[in-house]
Amino acid sequence: MNKNKHLLLWSSLGALCLLVGAAVQENFLKEWRGIQASIQTDAGPADVRLRQIVAPKLGVTDRCVTCHVGMAPGEQEGSGHPLAAAHGPVGHDPAEFGCTVCHGGQGRATEKADAHGDVRFWPAPMIPTRYAYAGCGSCHTHIRVPGQSELERGRSLLERYDCLACHRVDGRGGTLRPGGVGGMEGPDLSQAGARGFDTRWHEKHLQFAGQPDKAGWQDAFTDIDTAERDSIEAFLTSRVGAPRLVDAKARFHSLGCRGCHKIGGIGGDDGPDLSRVGQRDPGQLDFTHVRGEHTLANWLSEHTRDPARVVSGSKMPKFGLSDDDVDLLTYYMLSLRRSDLPEAYWPKDRIQASRFGQREFSTDGATLFGTFCAACHGDAGQGRRFPGSPPMPAVGNADFLAAARDGFLESTIWLGRPGRRMPAFGEDAGGLRREEVQAIIAHLRREAGVKEPDRLHPLPRWASGDPDRGRSLYDRHCAGCHGARGEGTDAPALNHPLLQATASDDYFVETIRRGRRGTPMEGFGQPSTIHPVLALGDIESIVAYLRTWEKRQ
Amino acid sequence: MTPTTATPRSRLDPEPVARRDFLGIASLASFLAAMLFAGLGVLRLPKAAVLASPAKKFSVALPDSLAAGEAFVPPGRSVAVFRDQEGVYAVSLICTHLGCIVKPGQSGFECPCHGSQFAADGSVLRGPAPKALPWLAVSVRGGECVVDESAIIPAGTKVSG
Amino acid sequence: MSTTAPENSPLRRFLHNLLQSPWHVRDAALRSGLPTTDRTRSNFVFGNVFLHLHSVRTHRWSLRWSTTWGLGLAATAAFLIALVSGVLLMFYYKPYPEAAYDSIKDIHFVVPTGRFIRNIHRWSANVMVVAVLLHMARAFYTAAYRKPREFNWLIGMGLLVVTLGLSFTGYLLPWDQLAYWAITIGANIAQSPREVTDAVGITETFDPGGLQRELLLGSDIVGEEALIRFYVLHVMLLPLALVSLLAVHFWRIRKDGGMTRPSDADQRLAPKADVYPVFTEAPQKTYQLAAIVKGASPAVGRGPENTVPSMPHLFYAELGVLMLTVLVCLALSMISDAPLKELANPSVPENPAKAPWYFLGLQELVAYSAFMGGVGIPMIVVIGLGLIPFLDREEAETGAWFGGPGGLRLVARSAVFGLASVLGIEAFAIRFGWLREWFPEIPQLVITAVNPGTLLAAIYAAYSLWIVRRYGSARAGALALFTCFLCGFVVLTVIGTHFRGPNWTFYWSPADWPRH
Repeated sequence: MNKNKHLLLWSSLGALCLLVGAAVQENFLKEWRGIQASIQTDAGPADVRLRQIVAPKLGVTDRCVTCHVGMAPGEQEGSGHPLAAAHGPVGHDPAEFGCTVCHGGQGRATEKADAHGDVRFWPAPMIPTRYAYAGCGSCHTHIRVPGQSELERGRSLLERYDCLACHRVDGRGGTLRPGGVGGMEGPDLSQAGARGFDTRWHEKHLQFAGQPDKAGWQDAFTDIDTAERDSIEAFLTSRVGAPRLVDAKARFHSLGCRGCHKIGGIGGDDGPDLSRVGQRDPGQLDFTHVRGEHTLANWLSEHTRDPARVVSGSKMPKFGLSDDDVDLLTYYMLSLRRSDLPEAYWPKDRIQASRFGQREFSTDGATLFGTFCAACHGDAGQGRRFPGSPPMPAVGNADFLAAARDGFLESTIWLGRPGRRMPAFGEDAGGLRREEVQAIIAHLRREAGVKEPDRLHPLPRWASGDPDRGRSLYDRHCAGCHGARGEGTDAPALNHPLLQATASDDYFVETIRRGRRGTPMEGFGQPSTIHPVLALGDIESIVAYLRTWEKRQ
Repeated sequence: MTPTTATPRSRLDPEPVARRDFLGIASLASFLAAMLFAGLGVLRLPKAAVLASPAKKFSVALPDSLAAGEAFVPPGRSVAVFRDQEGVYAVSLICTHLGCIVKPGQSGFECPCHGSQFAADGSVLRGPAPKALPWLAVSVRGGECVVDESAIIPAGTKVSG
Repeated sequence: MSTTAPENSPLRRFLHNLLQSPWHVRDAALRSGLPTTDRTRSNFVFGNVFLHLHSVRTHRWSLRWSTTWGLGLAATAAFLIALVSGVLLMFYYKPYPEAAYDSIKDIHFVVPTGRFIRNIHRWSANVMVVAVLLHMARAFYTAAYRKPREFNWLIGMGLLVVTLGLSFTGYLLPWDQLAYWAITIGANIAQSPREVTDAVGITETFDPGGLQRELLLGSDIVGEEALIRFYVLHVMLLPLALVSLLAVHFWRIRKDGGMTRPSDADQRLAPKADVYPVFTEAPQKTYQLAAIVKGASPAVGRGPENTVPSMPHLFYAELGVLMLTVLVCLALSMISDAPLKELANPSVPENPAKAPWYFLGLQELVAYSAFMGGVGIPMIVVIGLGLIPFLDREEAETGAWFGGPGGLRLVARSAVFGLASVLGIEAFAIRFGWLREWFPEIPQLVITAVNPGTLLAAIYAAYSLWIVRRYGSARAGALALFTCFLCGFVVLTVIGTHFRGPNWTFYWSPADWPRH
């Protein structure tokens, strides 16, 4: 019966060994124990214990500070380990807000790979450090930015008036009198947008400049005109402590991305909604055709660079964006991570946007055009052509604007072209308001220098002609691009019911007569090498033929 | 119950039981009845009288760009809403086999769990699913469609609007 | 140690008693003194509420490793380990959807030894299932289910079902994707009788499937109601059921005459010097319950020769198996962490969504017919297993491994047949598909009736009947059927575990799975 005694002896010894091993692992070999043991503070060696930040309302239990000891609440900066460093100065105290709210990652974890979230089965890894401010987007969903050009203008004015001689902005400038000697150095303006600034700054500066005892001021500060002051103020308002995020957002809103992608209910619906694209789980993404690391940031930038390579069959064109564009777009998309936080935590601009309908983007025509139209119609409305898709009309074309009345343009933007790629931007569909649509139209007219055309004819439908003759003319001259049935193979679709319903005969006649210079559409009213000049009667016949499609819809 | 016979009884003999022990029978029967009734009552408890499930009816606005035959899945719902020339209709995305969420694809639906495939109208093409994906009642109110996940309607019923 | 109390002074008497009280407490507990002799040891076993489930003396045959391989003990040991680790986990676990997931994360990351305890819990549950299945196979192959142990075999079937139920209910508790979708599938399997009632068209009036699912989930979705139900089942009802059944199981082992041993066991055991007879001969006539009740006990005709005192011989064996099980669980827990995937997401199914491995054989069958794979065939198997002792009333070679006509040869042949048929049917179904792929319009009832699962069951049944005829023995048929069933179970489980990938498609290896 000694067999059983041996069994008991060796099993028990084995179990004892394993338990001792587990105890050693538990009590001595944990990564964070090693880190904490090597940290020295002024008060002596740091306590070796688990540390955490708990904020129940934010749903935060963050143990990041178990390793990042210097950032733990009530802990002082120590030395002996890089992780002993304290958090940089920020508006939000980590002891109150925790870490993951801004940085992502797995707050409950206490081991590096798990905590940073670069493991399987954790959907929200940390935001890479170089895009760190994208985390602001969890709550600051509506950071207000001026248009890209406005932003650039403000920035360059600041340079031109040498404001950086006295003021510091985003870590630059303010070097003339280091240490503020002589009271010459002005305040740091990097967070002027968040903290607010004196609206009477210009008067005050002038006043100072007039005082005899401020010797240096007389040369340094001169009068600035109102337009330039507005630009400077717009720039300062956008200084909320996240300069690159603001740049990224402005860039995003200049490249027309929201023409196809909705964010917070505003935008076109030709592509996926991007409202929470920064929260996507990298574990659910297809990295088969993605070069580089398997992170959301890399996926987004590779996809932005060449959509169809990453997602086969993607309808999104390859825009040929620069590396800087791609980087900034990735930055902004990573910041689209609105979390469902209690309203008490909402920042002011978000409340203003949700309660009072304020826009997070500038609502001047240029910015609106850049935000919603530029991707397809070109940044100057010159139209664009992408492989595998009919060309996007040149809406900034002077001939077009000379043929189209504002009401037609407005309804086209409002209703879109269902079934084609032009989405509807009306308030119910795309979230744009009447005055914003009108601002876009005004912008187009201003840029092209073309006023709204007068009516040729008091009635919208007046063209009388022979549809049969129109048909033969159409087949000869138009069907090549517009398609045999006007379906718009390589040019706008002429049989589209909404076009038929909203376009007047004026528009058709004028367009055929004038053509659109700079596009393949030739004017049939002028002599040309490739086609005859058509008389008004012929043009009317073509229009009459176009109208036969309407009746059959 | 004194023994009436004179023969001595062995310790191993069974104790005589009166043929009509009414009191004993009645007490045991009542005990059983009470227990049975209590048991029934206990069994009644785990079957909830009202199911704590969220509302089955919801309204959804379809995007204008929705192409005919393209599925629109309202976030957080297991329903695909379609629109074509004949009208609007909704098909449940819960696999009739074992309740996984089927994926709407180019020409129908595909279940990730056991490989069932359904045609665009929900009928079973292959795999273990015992029946077609049910069509759900839709009504159009204003610009929105109201889908009722609890009302199953015959396949092919489309609501114009 | 206890000396006579001094009589002279009450105070000294008090002091003496006070000093002696530890020994008195010991004597009060042990009653018959320290278990140092066979007699006091026997008394110790007999007088202890826990130990007296053992008989006082144990036959040497029962202590041979090859008699039982300690599988029943290992299953019990695994249950005890799961019980202890489970109670520990309950200190931190919160049975509410998202809190549940967070609490598992806490157990994993910050609860002292939490990760280890959770691993132990998970591994002991797996070890328990394996041990229970092997224990059943052992009992079958040594014909230990025969009279008078038929009822204990039935209790064992109950224990198998409760064990699987414990594993299944425990699977939901982490509230991650793995859990959520496995339970969604499980709950819909409970609903699968609808496959038949729908086909017949009586679901409106008679819907056992819907009722089962509703009782299980307490709602029509897998939500917080389902979680609390599974929690109550997992930590209270099923453990209680298991402990009660286990008590009966042990009690019956003792009352049914201990371990089965072949009639020639005494001859086959080598004589042993230190074993001496306690009685001069075997009792020819013993009565149950001190002769108040009539009827012979199983001890009649079985002599005490070749028995040894349970204490310490049996207890060494029991403790040995317990510690071996502990060792295995600890080692596995150190090697591999219990899985925890993303938080449950009701709108994105896991792909593939797999149940615990021991259900994957059924899931493989479920992939043809939910009702047959999930309800029909398991019921047939359980009923079939339960019927075995009542169909096989033979007596020859009870207690011998693979005893019965044909013996090991028959088992081997049946294994070959069982493997060949299950592999053949699976290969065919994987290669060519099943009925619906050829006839999309086929009525569901036909598929429910004719699918790889039912076909396999029919083939196994027919084969066993043929064996019964051929050997003229129910035991031979049982050997064939059980072996076939075991082979089918193993093969289907392996296919379901290893060879099935996204969309339940066949893959030679998980490495071939498409990455999303």
